Amino acid sequence: MKNNKGYHIIILFCLCFLAVANVNAQSDWQVPAEENEKLSPFLFDDDMVLEGRVAYENLCTSCHGTPGQDDFTPMSPPPGDPAGEQFQVQSDGSMFYKIKMGRGTMPKFEDAFEDDELWNIVAYIRSFNEDYKQELPNMEGVVIPEYAMSLSFDENVDKLVVKVFAEELPQPEVSVSAYVMGTFGKHLLGKAQTNELGIAYVDVDPTLPGDEEGKVNVMVKATKEFARAKIEKHMVMAKPTERHSAIEGRHIWSTDRMAPIWLKITFFVSVFGVWFALLFIVFGLRNIKKAREEA
Amino acid sequence: MNETIAKGHFSEEQIDKDLLKNVNWGGKFKLWMGFLTVSLIICLYYYYQQLQNGLGVTGLHDYVSWGIYISNFVFFVATSLIGMLVSSVLGMMKVEWVRPVARIAELVALAFAMVAGLIIITDMGRPDRLLNVFIHGRVQSPIVWDIAVVVTYVVISGLLLYIPMLPDIALCRDKLNNVPKWQQKMYKSLSLGWNNTAKQFRLMNRYTRMLLILIIPIALSIHTVTSWLFAMTLRSGWDSPIFGPYFVSGAFVAGCAAVIIAMFFFRNNYKLKEYITADHFDRMGKLLVLVALVYVYFNINEIIVPGYKANTADAKHVHEMLYGHDSVMFWLVQLGGLVIPFLLILFKPMRKPLPLTIIAVVILAGAWFKRVLIVVPTQLAPYYPIQNVPEGWTGYSPTTPEVAITVASFILVVMIITVLAKLFPVVPIWEVKEDMNHKNNK
Ligand code: HEC
Repeated sequence: MKNNKGYHIIILFCLCFLAVANVNAQSDWQVPAEENEKLSPFLFDDDMVLEGRVAYENLCTSCHGTPGQDDFTPMSPPPGDPAGEQFQVQSDGSMFYKIKMGRGTMPKFEDAFEDDELWNIVAYIRSFNEDYKQELPNMEGVVIPEYAMSLSFDENVDKLVVKVFAEELPQPEVSVSAYVMGTFGKHLLGKAQTNELGIAYVDVDPTLPGDEEGKVNVMVKATKEFARAKIEKHMVMAKPTERHSAIEGRHIWSTDRMAPIWLKITFFVSVFGVWFALLFIVFGLRNIKKAREEA
Repeated sequence: MNETIAKGHFSEEQIDKDLLKNVNWGGKFKLWMGFLTVSLIICLYYYYQQLQNGLGVTGLHDYVSWGIYISNFVFFVATSLIGMLVSSVLGMMKVEWVRPVARIAELVALAFAMVAGLIIITDMGRPDRLLNVFIHGRVQSPIVWDIAVVVTYVVISGLLLYIPMLPDIALCRDKLNNVPKWQQKMYKSLSLGWNNTAKQFRLMNRYTRMLLILIIPIALSIHTVTSWLFAMTLRSGWDSPIFGPYFVSGAFVAGCAAVIIAMFFFRNNYKLKEYITADHFDRMGKLLVLVALVYVYFNINEIIVPGYKANTADAKHVHEMLYGHDSVMFWLVQLGGLVIPFLLILFKPMRKPLPLTIIAVVILAGAWFKRVLIVVPTQLAPYYPIQNVPEGWTGYSPTTPEVAITVASFILVVMIITVLAKLFPVVPIWEVKEDMNHKNNK
């Protein structure tokens, strides 16, 4: 009994220590100064907020809850509400860094998101702060080229060919990432850099399932420093999918059209056969009447 | 063999007189019909309620959506099958003794088949949509097969009653001068100018033979298809490949019992003791033993095979019957309504008219409840457990409107038989005469 009490106290003490340590750790999340000052090269517009929202709802809500509702999952350290003080006092760079690198239970999203997508999320989190004024990097003297892209598919080598131009000139060393858009998200096809001809090649898995004609909706992003561009296109480059009814082989029960031919023949031949015989008899009754006249 | 037909050597006039005497609209008939009509109207009031308020007035619910309406339908279809067995199978095998009772069997068959087609509508929540079954019915659906075959069977039964009756209708036309005008006119047009020429008999026999052959597959399919309404599903207790023959054999039991009851009724009320003899009852009793044996055999199969497989859903269904929730009704039906009666009929004294009729009543009641046992318990044991539903949904008990509407269907059957038996002779006169002549010439 006495012993037990001793254990209890020790356990309690340890728990307190852990809790304090955690609180400390949280306040302690150090972001390298350089990262802390990093600024988004993109102006947070409604498009970004919207994309950020989709990403947030898919991947963050489970822990952080709905921003502004303080309904984050209770855990230690607490994830916190993105609309709250904790988040909003930080710099854009700090938030960007924490989402990208993660710590402890906070997952690391470096591999899940491109930089611009991380900025989308920051834009979304900032959209809950009315007082927020975005600080943009000093752009004086910087010319941001406007990219144009063209996509094609080389079926001999199964590669997606991306050409990046700015005012008719091919753009080298542009980062290109290509995705296939699905109903609920996008699938990364691959990333590449443009060569001196402004061309990047992305491998396409030939077994990728497309629609009936092998079409997929391709989205390609090109980014280089502050420049960025996006293009979406339906392209025939995947394996055509033959659509089968989910109840194929069991379709005897569905619509009338689906009735198997043997069943139709059996049914109608027997029904009409029997009724033919019956009508023959009914009309034959006239003969009985005629037979009277003979007598 | 010959003692089954009129024992005394009656003259033809005597036979005409005896067998035509029931064709009249006496006071007794009017009283009886009045009673039936009043009862029917009372029952129909409940149907009016159901029309107004929908199937909510019944005990049916999401789990048991087929209750006594469907059981009753199955029972009616079953009972109507007897016409085929007696007039066709036995008739074509030239079993002489069935001839005087064949028409009674046909009457029973026609009445039950007609009402079976009608009673199914009472199970519809929206009878105004009945036409949709025909417009949008799918060939794959056993319900569509059932409709096709029930309608066909009603027509064949009607023809099979009518065509061999032509000489008797002609007799009514010639002999019955004191019946109402419309009735005389009816006989005149229905008799198709029959005047007993050889050619007319030839034609009549030809058509009758065609019908007798045709009715065998149709009658078998009518009840097989009815069983398929159940057996084509994947539910424990219904999903059985022997359901077709199982139903057909059960149908003969119910049908024989119904015919025996009708025979007893006509024999006593129409004073036909000389024509429907004790020997007929004896033979019908033996026939009943035969069909009951076949049915018992199918019952054993239906119980032992699934019941042996300890832990399947089908086994649970069987155990529920044997010693579970439905066991009281099960044993009452199986022992009281089938095994004990059929053992009793093995003894000759039990095949005398009165005891046999009483046993037939018991068997017929058992047959009705047997249909309830086939239809209802399966629905109370779905593969997914019944959860989070109103308490009443874990069982089923029919409500007053349901019972009244079911009673109405019986009243309708009795009315149809009564009226037909008042319009036409219930024992085929010309066949009795023919038999007599045949015998006398020997
Ligand atoms: C598995 C739960 C979980 C998920 C999912 C999650 N987080 Fe976190 N997050 C946490 C926790 C726990 C912390 C606190 C970590 C700490 O302080 O050590 C945190 C901290 C943060 C911080 C830093 C907050 C501060 O106070 O400094 C940011 C920013 C953040 N999360 C953003 C996100 C975003 C954006 C997503 C979705 C892309 C996300 N988190 C998904 C659990 C999660």
